[in-house]
Amino acid sequence: MRATQEAVLAEMRRWGYRYVVTPSLENLDALALGLEADQRRRLFKLSDGDGSLLALVGERTVPVARLAAGKLRTAPLPLRLCYAGPVLTNDPDRFTRRREAHQVGAELIGASGSVADAEVIAMAARCLEAAGLHGYQVDVGHSGFFQGLLDGLELPPESKSGIKALLARRDFVGLEAMLEQTPLRSAEHELLLRFPALRGQADILEAAGKLVRNRRSEQALEELSRVHTLLGAYGLGETVNLDLGAIRDFDYYTGVIFEGYGQDLGSPLAQGGRYDRLLGRFGRPAAATGFMVHLDLVGEGLRRSGRAPELIRLDAAVAWSAAGLDSALRLGASLRLFGMRAVVDTQARGQAAARAWAAGLGARHLLRVEAGGLVGWAPAGGRLRRLPAEQVVARLAGGS
Amino acid sequence: MISIAIPTGVLLQGSLDLLRRSGVVELDREEIGRKLLVEKDGLRVVLVRPADVAAYVDYGSADLGVVGKDQLWESPGPHYELVDLCFGGCVLVLAAPEASPLDDPETWPPAMRVATKYPRATAAFMERMGQTVEMVRLHGSVELAPQLGLVDAIVDLTASGRTLRENRLRVVAEVGHSTARLIANQASLKTRTEALQELVTRLRAHVS
Repeated sequence: MRATQEAVLAEMRRWGYRYVVTPSLENLDALALGLEADQRRRLFKLSDGDGSLLALVGERTVPVARLAAGKLRTAPLPLRLCYAGPVLTNDPDRFTRRREAHQVGAELIGASGSVADAEVIAMAARCLEAAGLHGYQVDVGHSGFFQGLLDGLELPPESKSGIKALLARRDFVGLEAMLEQTPLRSAEHELLLRFPALRGQADILEAAGKLVRNRRSEQALEELSRVHTLLGAYGLGETVNLDLGAIRDFDYYTGVIFEGYGQDLGSPLAQGGRYDRLLGRFGRPAAATGFMVHLDLVGEGLRRSGRAPELIRLDAAVAWSAAGLDSALRLGASLRLFGMRAVVDTQARGQAAARAWAAGLGARHLLRVEAGGLVGWAPAGGRLRRLPAEQVVARLAGGS
Repeated sequence: MISIAIPTGVLLQGSLDLLRRSGVVELDREEIGRKLLVEKDGLRVVLVRPADVAAYVDYGSADLGVVGKDQLWESPGPHYELVDLCFGGCVLVLAAPEASPLDDPETWPPAMRVATKYPRATAAFMERMGQTVEMVRLHGSVELAPQLGLVDAIVDLTASGRTLRENRLRVVAEVGHSTARLIANQASLKTRTEALQELVTRLRAHVS
């Protein structure tokens, strides 16, 4: 997990994103601004000395937004920030999901428009690649498309919020029943029902464009078209699908939204989108877009495809005979000076016991310092040779 | 390969009929009952308990699932509920002993004690009605509970109403209507769009 996190953060740094550390404990009211009701319920809450409510962070975009509007208030926009850390959520549902999950994310704050959207989506794709995933794909949608459809319906507001709730639950059976009760049946109604199927390459934009007759949806389609073209320039045409049926929190996201999927994993590995209203709530109105990667799921994907990162191996296990401790400590120090990973034993051992000890550590080489300063050198599974310490260091540093 | 989870119990025959009618796969009830997992005609069919279908689909171990709406009330998740398959119809009802004074909502006590296997659906209904409720979660023979004075009423599923009558219970209110539904994993819809859409379209076309 650590290796995956490092790989993703390194990719983010290559895109010029600055690493920030945010608190794990936040004011509940502040955190709640960026969360759906369901997510708010799942936060672990506790009360502060003065009776105000605090919560452990269930995601890290809000803390980053607070940072950008607070401590980094004077930093010029756009800000490119990235973060990594645990997020904690309680899960009262039927599954006992892990309560502590790990996320790495990035936020581009203070840049609006398709170029910024495309940058973040392209970076998300490259991050999944940097994590070692193959065969991932990114689905790009737009929250305005659905909002436009909804605005266009001639329905009382309570029906509209009912439709939103049904869509948020992905209940298309309920949605169909609800729309059947409405007096009007237009192409836009049909579009709402075909929501999850509106997915593909650039041609679906044209097809959808013929069916919608409201400015907001049209604008969403135009933006998606621009982002799609830009992603082609990033070399990601194959990886990206347009998905007008993407369903995310409709009140939070204000523009292009996206999700990354792996092969044979039941939920998205990465999620993100544009949220232009959040920063304003902390007193520094700014356009913003970003995403996060679910590290635990990425790890699961890597394990399933047999590409789990190897555990880092020890280069040398340094054992010693009764008289060799001082030399062993010096040998360990020299090896580390050359950038190798070395462990020096805590007790004297005979040659056979030392071999077993080194094998248990998984070290590539066993070096046993003997009386008289000679070093017995045995590569894992290899033949034992006796050489002076300097020669052993030189050979190991030389890569043998 | 696309996989579909179908439930044991009352919805099994209807699920197999639908798969056969739509020309997707022809499966013998005994065969699937014995093997639990059958791969045929490019489709993997798994037989699981009704309450477990949503779990298989939500985690992506099955791309599609056939499941009663009554189970979905209790298992909300990230799956897509795509098609009303229109079989296995039944009603979730609030029922009380024939001699009970419970009738219109005005006659309900300030706090009602209710036994049920459906705590989520019951809680949502009572909240809609503004009724304070104390829930006793039972796992079987819910009809017995009011007769023994454990609760004022029960919330349970009924198809014909016979079990209720046999236990001298009558319907006080309808909580919800249930039929079999076709559900899909959220990621499968994105990563296997074409194969899945084709299958869903075929099943939808053969809903009777």
